[in-house]
Amino acid sequence: MSSELEHLARGTAELIASADEREAEEAASRPDEPSLPPLEWLKVNLFSSVLNTVLTIVFGLAGVLAYQRLLNWAFSHEREWDAVRVNMRALFTFTYPSSQYGRIWVTLGIVLALAGLSLGLSRMVGQGFSLKRISTWCMAWGGAVIAGILLVQPHAKRSPDGEVLLDADFEPVRESFGTAMADRGWWWLVGVILFAVGLALWVVLGDVKRRTTFVGAVPFTLGVLAFAVSTLWWFHWGNYGQQGDIIEPGRTVKDSAKLPWTVMWLVLTGAYLLGQRLATTDRAGSIRVVVNFSWLLAPFITFWVILRDPQIDYAHVVSTDLPMALGFMIGGGAVLFFLTKPGVGEAGRIVGVGLFGLAIFNWVAAFFGVYPMLQKARISFLLLALVALAAHNFAGERSQRLRFVCAWAGVMAMLHYLVTMINAPSTVDAPDEFVGGFLVTVYIAVFTMIFSFPLGILLALGRTSTLPIFRVLSTIYIETVRGVPFITILFFFSTFLNIFLPDGMEIEQLAAAGLGFALFSAAYLAENIRGGLQAVRRGQYEASDALGLTTVQRTGFIVLPQALRVSIPPLVGATISTFKETSLLAIIGIIDFLRVANSVIPGQTVFLGVRMEGLLFVCMIYWIGAYGMSKFSQRLERHLGVGEH
Amino acid sequence: MTDTQPSLQVAASAKPPFYRDATVVKWLVQVATLAVTLFAIAFLVREAGDSLRAKSIQTGFGFLEVDPAISLGEGIDTDPATGGRALWVGMVNTIRMAIAGIALATILGTLIGIGRLSSNWLVAKLASAFIEYMRNIPLLVHIILFFVTIAVVFPEFGEDVDPVSGEVTQGPWNGVLHVSNKGFSVPRVHIADGFYQWMIIMVLGCFAARWIARQRYAARDRTGRETYPVLTALGVVAAFGAVGWFIHPIFGFVGDAVFAPIRDLIGATPPNLVQLLLCAAAIVAAGLWIKRFFDARRTPGDSAKLTDDDWFRVIFAGIAAAIACVVFLVLWPGLSSWLVNSGRDLFDVLANKFGEGRSSVSDDPPFSVGMPDIEKRGNFANMGPSGLNLTQGFAAVFFGVVLYTAAFIAEIVRGGILAVPKGQTEAAQAIGLRRSTMLRRVILPQAFRVSLPPLGNQYLNLTKNTSLAIAVGYTDVVQVGQTIFNQTGRSLEVFIIWMLFYLACSLTISVVVNFFNVRLKIVER
Repeated sequence: MSSELEHLARGTAELIASADEREAEEAASRPDEPSLPPLEWLKVNLFSSVLNTVLTIVFGLAGVLAYQRLLNWAFSHEREWDAVRVNMRALFTFTYPSSQYGRIWVTLGIVLALAGLSLGLSRMVGQGFSLKRISTWCMAWGGAVIAGILLVQPHAKRSPDGEVLLDADFEPVRESFGTAMADRGWWWLVGVILFAVGLALWVVLGDVKRRTTFVGAVPFTLGVLAFAVSTLWWFHWGNYGQQGDIIEPGRTVKDSAKLPWTVMWLVLTGAYLLGQRLATTDRAGSIRVVVNFSWLLAPFITFWVILRDPQIDYAHVVSTDLPMALGFMIGGGAVLFFLTKPGVGEAGRIVGVGLFGLAIFNWVAAFFGVYPMLQKARISFLLLALVALAAHNFAGERSQRLRFVCAWAGVMAMLHYLVTMINAPSTVDAPDEFVGGFLVTVYIAVFTMIFSFPLGILLALGRTSTLPIFRVLSTIYIETVRGVPFITILFFFSTFLNIFLPDGMEIEQLAAAGLGFALFSAAYLAENIRGGLQAVRRGQYEASDALGLTTVQRTGFIVLPQALRVSIPPLVGATISTFKETSLLAIIGIIDFLRVANSVIPGQTVFLGVRMEGLLFVCMIYWIGAYGMSKFSQRLERHLGVGEH
Repeated sequence: MTDTQPSLQVAASAKPPFYRDATVVKWLVQVATLAVTLFAIAFLVREAGDSLRAKSIQTGFGFLEVDPAISLGEGIDTDPATGGRALWVGMVNTIRMAIAGIALATILGTLIGIGRLSSNWLVAKLASAFIEYMRNIPLLVHIILFFVTIAVVFPEFGEDVDPVSGEVTQGPWNGVLHVSNKGFSVPRVHIADGFYQWMIIMVLGCFAARWIARQRYAARDRTGRETYPVLTALGVVAAFGAVGWFIHPIFGFVGDAVFAPIRDLIGATPPNLVQLLLCAAAIVAAGLWIKRFFDARRTPGDSAKLTDDDWFRVIFAGIAAAIACVVFLVLWPGLSSWLVNSGRDLFDVLANKFGEGRSSVSDDPPFSVGMPDIEKRGNFANMGPSGLNLTQGFAAVFFGVVLYTAAFIAEIVRGGILAVPKGQTEAAQAIGLRRSTMLRRVILPQAFRVSLPPLGNQYLNLTKNTSLAIAVGYTDVVQVGQTIFNQTGRSLEVFIIWMLFYLACSLTISVVVNFFNVRLKIVER
């Protein structure tokens, strides 16, 4: 198992290394394109012909009008942006108790630390942003701010007690234009500074220098984030619960958010610097493997151990859980050590089949209630039997066998630890589910990808298999699931699943929905992976047959690594789809991100019927997530050199 | 050398024990998997049956015949008499939305895709901003945003009340065009009694138009002069329609003379004969399939080498035919009489429809028009059922789905255009085509050839995505189904109907797209 993964990681690492060299070569000889003088630029891009001139005028006017409408709407006196500000915690974590909010920060810290390490260790270093681009951005945003200041209609006048003054037609009385312009001092400052910085960069550097000087994407982003975090210290972002005691009465955004976010920024930056330092050491390869495994474990640990805060019965752990885990680790390890001996022959097969029979009997016996057994023991037995059956594929040197056994022990330790944690009752004092809001969105998306990925690989292998019954079953499953809308499947799992289960077995709605997500997504992943499998050339199969590899070895070591490399970009696409599809949770009544904005906030007495503001905020967060991932996917595609042969 | 050779031969020719024989193990594992799968399904179904009985929830499709006591917001029948009818209304709503959505999304997506490649910087940037905005936000959020926006932007319905008569009017053109936050209402065109006779004339007109268009094409190829074949054909159809409007009663005899005898013939068929015919059809189909399969596998030397997989297919075809026969004869003998009855009912309906409306031209026109009206339910004015109502829910789902899909289609079209070789553009410029002609005649046809398969995928997605209508209460098949299973508890049955309906839709779209795909393909020699 482990050597397979290692093999995969090593193969991918080599591919990435060669891609790095290529990219580094290209980066050295790829300055940004030269820019035309402004007037010529306008002529070429906007007014090159009569038709283009007309198009420019029409769309330009339409754009300006839409921009003005949008700003007027957003800055109107009728908007209640407090609905978003006050409910910020509700949107992201719903009813997670504020007394235990530290757990959220720890979770976020772990994610950011891993992200920083990965970024630092990554060899996917592009050339970053040229100063020309940064200068253009600054000028464009500065210009947009200044245009906005000029376009927004003057604000409505308010009486001393905050009421909007109305005239005879019940239209609000507005300030004069001059006063309005003078009132927007802060905005003027922001717009002018942005524009001036951009212009200064442009003018001072000169054409060649601004095209060939690059700022790394990560340092640039960290700098922007640092600025954003620093505003929490010196800018008044308003109060939570200004109009009622909804979340934290009297506390300002500044008080409650500045310290944690500063720590988060420090964690991210520190991890990034550490990762960069580690990348130059000899052990960089194995550190990368450790970080990648940590990414795999992080969702489980953060969800079930940190956020859920299980109450552990130590007596039971010492008397049952620990011995059982050790038994599987040591006993199973010994069996596997024996089975991976080269030339173990028929005896190994008999042991494997015998273990498999025992594992199956455990489930059948449980079904008929013959003898009780902990579920995790049954799962462990089944895993052991499956690994034992495949063990002869990993036969090799003593050190390789030892590594294989260690990997088994590690997997068992993690499995037993997690199952123990999951079985312990939660102590988080939340009304129903301890996750809600954006947390539920993220966790459902992440777990969906984790669980549907192996299932998708199996389905894809089944569909391309030469064994007809496997092929027919996989094809029926994939085509049926892809043929129906997701919402019907989600209904099926959230409302009907319990009637299919035996008596006394119940499944929570969120878990059922998660199951539906994983099974649905697997069918789509299978099609992506099938595309990758078909891209593996015939010669690769023939070569591995010529080497005398078994089917398992051929699939695991030769075919799948190549197939998965080709299907990485579509797999990121599938992740984006899953992230967007989590919004459907709102329909089946789970309080996710969208439902908080669409139903919970408009139901609060203070913000009765205030819906648009929250929805727009939700839009923004979804957009940032999906856009970021799609950019990442494009970068990955270029980096892996897919389709460039 | 001499020593090892015999032992190698022995090793190669010795049969392995049966538990190591690859073929045996392969099939054993497969059959075991199949058995486990079937057992798991049977187990789950039994559990479901038990727990439904324990909760004393009735099962079966009986609810399709019973009055569901629900009223639907919109559709061809807002007060359906049976559950089946209610679901049918939902299906029609879904199909209506899907067809209109596919048409509009294709046009819009193509325009935006072209816009993204425009040489005009502003147009290209706006197009890509639109695409990035639409496709990076979940469709459900778009739909809800549209729903809320419509409620805010348009005027309230039924605000203008005459203080004297109490009559409610609605702008901007009372009785013809109503625009409000409940949606739009425009005149609706109905099929009336004379429609079916008129349709016969139209079908004849289509045949005539096809014939004339061929003549014109031939003339154009012969002489090289423009003969406007498409325009002529359209003109012929229009002429047939116009004349048919006044003479359609002459086809009133079709109902009694053609459909009534067919109805009587089907009604007189004994069900046993139908059973036998069905069995014969199944056996003949399987036999033909197997024969073709063998023919295809036959080598020039007239020897067929069949793999395990091939044998599996042949055996599977035989088993399928046998199972079909058992179903027709033993398990479901009612099928044949059901077929006979529904065939008779169908032709009975046809005989009636074609028999009606022959009295006079003025009494039974092919179409009639319903004008928008206003209905007062209690204190609240609502759109009446006579006009064609584009409700708030419909508009929200429609614009959400169309704009969302258009963004994806735009990317596909862009990819297709970029895939057209540069030489084609240069050649078109060299022979002096204008930019618009070049786009229409040279680039887009070739771009569509590349992008048709992914477009078909988007059409499927669009159809499935209309199911999000449930979030805003548009009565599509999922929403109606959910209402019904909330009332009757027949969750599984409704789920099966959903599944079959969407699978049928998917299949139809795939077949249509594939048809065009085959036609558009370059003919290769």
